[in-house]
Amino acid sequence: MRAISTIVAVAALASFPLWLRDPYLLNALITTGIFIIGAMSLNLLLGFTGQLSLGHIAFFGIGAYVSALTSLGFDVGLPGDFRLVHAPWPPIAGFVLAVVVAGLCGYFVGLLSFRVRGAYFVIVTISFAEVVRLVALNWVELTQGPLALTNIPSIALPLPGFGEFTLRTKMHNYYLVLVVALIAYLLIARLVHSHFGRAMRGLMENETLAISVGIDVTRTLTIAAVISAAIAGAAGSLYAHYIRIIDPEVFAFINTVTMVIMVISGGKGSLAGPVVGGLIFGLLPVALRPVMAPEAQWIAYGGVLIAILFLLPRGIVPSLTQRLGRRLGRTSARAPVALTETAAKEPA
Amino acid sequence: MSEFLQHLVNMLVLGGTYALLGIGLTLIFGIMNVVNFTHGVLYTFGAYVMFMVVQQLGLNFFLALPVAVLAGWLLGAAIELTLLRPLRGSDIDTTMLVMIGAWIAMQSGTLWIWGGVAKAVATPFPEAPLVLGPVSVSWLRLFVLIAAALLILVTYLLINRTSLGRAMRATFQDHDTASLMGVNVDMIYTSTFAIGSSLAAAAGALLGPVYVIFPQMGDLAAVKAFAIVILGGLGNITGAVIGGFILALAEELGAGYVSSGYRDAMGFLIIIAVLIFRPTGLFARAERVG
Amino acid sequence: MTRALGLVSTITLAVALAGAAAQAQTIKIGVNEPLTGAFAASGTYVVNGAKIAADEINAKGGILGKKIELVIEDNKSNPTEAAAVAEKLITSDKVPVLMGAWGSSLTLAVMPKLMEYETPMVVETSSSGKITTTGNPFIFRISPPSAIEAAAFKGIVDKLALKKVDFLVINNDWGRGTAEDFSKMMKEKGIAVGLVETMDQGAQDMSAQLSKIKGSDSETVIVTTAVDQLTLIFKQAAALGLKKRIITTGGSQNPDQIIAQAGAAANGTMHLTTFLPWFPEKTPNPEATNYFVSEWKKRGFDFAGCTESFRGYDGIRTVAAAIEKAGKAEPAAIKAAFWDIKVKGLNGDIVFRKSGPEGKESGQSQPNVYLIEINDGKIEMKTL
Repeated sequence: MRAISTIVAVAALASFPLWLRDPYLLNALITTGIFIIGAMSLNLLLGFTGQLSLGHIAFFGIGAYVSALTSLGFDVGLPGDFRLVHAPWPPIAGFVLAVVVAGLCGYFVGLLSFRVRGAYFVIVTISFAEVVRLVALNWVELTQGPLALTNIPSIALPLPGFGEFTLRTKMHNYYLVLVVALIAYLLIARLVHSHFGRAMRGLMENETLAISVGIDVTRTLTIAAVISAAIAGAAGSLYAHYIRIIDPEVFAFINTVTMVIMVISGGKGSLAGPVVGGLIFGLLPVALRPVMAPEAQWIAYGGVLIAILFLLPRGIVPSLTQRLGRRLGRTSARAPVALTETAAKEPA
Repeated sequence: MSEFLQHLVNMLVLGGTYALLGIGLTLIFGIMNVVNFTHGVLYTFGAYVMFMVVQQLGLNFFLALPVAVLAGWLLGAAIELTLLRPLRGSDIDTTMLVMIGAWIAMQSGTLWIWGGVAKAVATPFPEAPLVLGPVSVSWLRLFVLIAAALLILVTYLLINRTSLGRAMRATFQDHDTASLMGVNVDMIYTSTFAIGSSLAAAAGALLGPVYVIFPQMGDLAAVKAFAIVILGGLGNITGAVIGGFILALAEELGAGYVSSGYRDAMGFLIIIAVLIFRPTGLFARAERVG
Repeated sequence: MTRALGLVSTITLAVALAGAAAQAQTIKIGVNEPLTGAFAASGTYVVNGAKIAADEINAKGGILGKKIELVIEDNKSNPTEAAAVAEKLITSDKVPVLMGAWGSSLTLAVMPKLMEYETPMVVETSSSGKITTTGNPFIFRISPPSAIEAAAFKGIVDKLALKKVDFLVINNDWGRGTAEDFSKMMKEKGIAVGLVETMDQGAQDMSAQLSKIKGSDSETVIVTTAVDQLTLIFKQAAALGLKKRIITTGGSQNPDQIIAQAGAAANGTMHLTTFLPWFPEKTPNPEATNYFVSEWKKRGFDFAGCTESFRGYDGIRTVAAAIEKAGKAEPAAIKAAFWDIKVKGLNGDIVFRKSGPEGKESGQSQPNVYLIEINDGKIEMKTL
């Protein structure tokens, strides 16, 4: 049942560029799709390990900058009279590097942040994102600071034997984003359904109990952070090569908020949640634009968010699945977490 | 040396208002475990109330201050009753997101009502600063420091010498036991949120005339409030006061001697440093969670 | 029954045709400005100035026999939105030309879309050098980048007898660009450059930076930022007892607002502006200035905003002139026409000169720059 609905959904999404001719809507779908990838990665931390990270845009932005700088080249002075010079590389290399560097950052942030929990964790993640923004803003020699990195090249796929295929049109970019989103989705799904996934959920349900059955909390959280950051970095890279200009404003808190809204309204802890939440809140501004004054649009946006949280507190997807399940006479779709099972499979 | 003294004086004046912001948030965060994203909006609201009352209604500046504090109290209570109480028992992220929604809506509402052009509030103080040797400080800022100190004292007394305060502290220590002992937890929550909000509004009302008033002014203030809460430890008022001064000092010295571009980063750097070396804050008595 | 149906369908058809005909009767101009977010105040000023121009043109019969219609969209002070808005204006609303996008990073985000759809845009406020030097032939800018402002200031610098200056600039491309271009110019003139302090875009307390400057040995401070921060800087400088000469640059000063909000702290400060709404007779086009200022006041807008809104006014008039010259409302023709027009702008002649790499030059016009001084709460032309 689930597989069929997923295939139908993917097919529907894939068909859009073929009949949806309005470039404005396609553009909105592409940027929304990029943020949905970011939201899915956030969901891994937020929904499956229960860690409320509000600095997620840092990984997205780091991915964007790494990818842009790799494909534009740079020349910076380092302490000690060294100059680090880099010649431009193909954008696809930028994409790969973005994933790697963002993942690494996820590792280090994970190490530091997971010494604390709850409210403290929230704040340290916000701080991390702000510090990264300020570095991007002030290290002008490397990042161009507020002068922005411009003329970032579009991604070109190297096709052995055929040369390069540059993804210039909207349709190309749409499919690129869709493919990356699918890969991210499948990766996260595999992870969640593996026994690593059970470890994550075990520790989310009851951390003390999880420790007592032998789950290595720090290792689990750190791995989750690395993968989450890496996927966010990938999204950032796509963003840089699509919008083709990056400035420190990409780290603005509002972008993290956008992803958080997508995850929580869609249903954290559900795989499809960020996608549904993302489509709704990514496209809501587009829908509101022609009907309301600019300030009113924002008020409505906040209002819709509050309304969804009141009416469907677990998020759209879990609430609807529950209702649908009841209608069809099925019990809750979510299997209980069996910690003893996990312990038996985890090495001591 | 004189430059250093000037930085110190700047720090004292700023620290008082930061402390007010921090106390408000640490109470809400500590007692209710709510990541209160509307704190910055309350700060902005307090400033706009001052503008309305002094500039548009023509009321006396000193009378306008209690009006702003009261308005903040009322708005805070309204938010708690309409948005937080119905969601009592939900996770921290749901309430956080509701606070974010309220923040977005209220900030845009501010833009709608008053427009984006910055406003100023006339004050009864002389423009020329008080000069003490190499150091200058404006009379307005001195007043702000004194007013902030008074409010901090009043809050401290409220929390530590009244039965309401005792009930709040009990709820902070153990919400279930307090409820069993007859504390009306619902009322405590509303009061806490209202008090915290009124303190934020007070900070805005005091600082609005010092700076200028515009819809996004609360965003930076909110972030600094979070930094102070971390520094001082969740729920710890004394910690928040000291944290406020430490943040102000770090900002002044950081901007003065390290790099002015990173001034507002000081708060964040402090947070990260504290959380690496002393996760519970410099003064917290409560245990680390997890 | 069939008769009623027939009547209804005829009326519907007629209305639809009339609607379509009415549509075809207007020439659309896209306006991409921040109406919410951090730059809401400025974007709103520019849009209101633009509306004055549109109404004036329509009152005189429009262009090419049709009325002009401003299609105004909010870019939310966000580069991603700015690009999306440009896309909507060009592809959905089918505008043949745009004006926008206020801030430099917003304009930079729009530029790839202009290349993609080959549609020209008049840049009315942005000051980043990159906008006209990265090879985008669809950009036509009427506001001065800091290099031009510095060049204009060169002439005045000698008369002010500057010896050593400090800079206090907003930490974005505008502030940093100014510090760079003005420093270069000063050094060429043998003037020493001391501290270069920055302040974050949202910062409200500059006491630390000002304390530092107070202790330095320069006699002049050059400040580049917008009106809100300028008000704060003057108040805080006065509170600190800073006694240096202050000169502001950049054209976003709105001096009336500064006087209203900073009071005596603003006295003695000088400002490099690009418009003189207080002295219409000193502007290159006194008639137009008088009309604009009186119309602005008539609509009940804040007078302080004139120094920003005039750009919206001039921007639309420039677009209109190009459309008129092109003879048709088509992007390629309008783009070519921009090079041939000369408009008597409110702050100088608007004539586009080539700027940037060969073969894909952008257009840059050179507006006048004036030095004013605030004394006793009043604005005066600085006579040197």
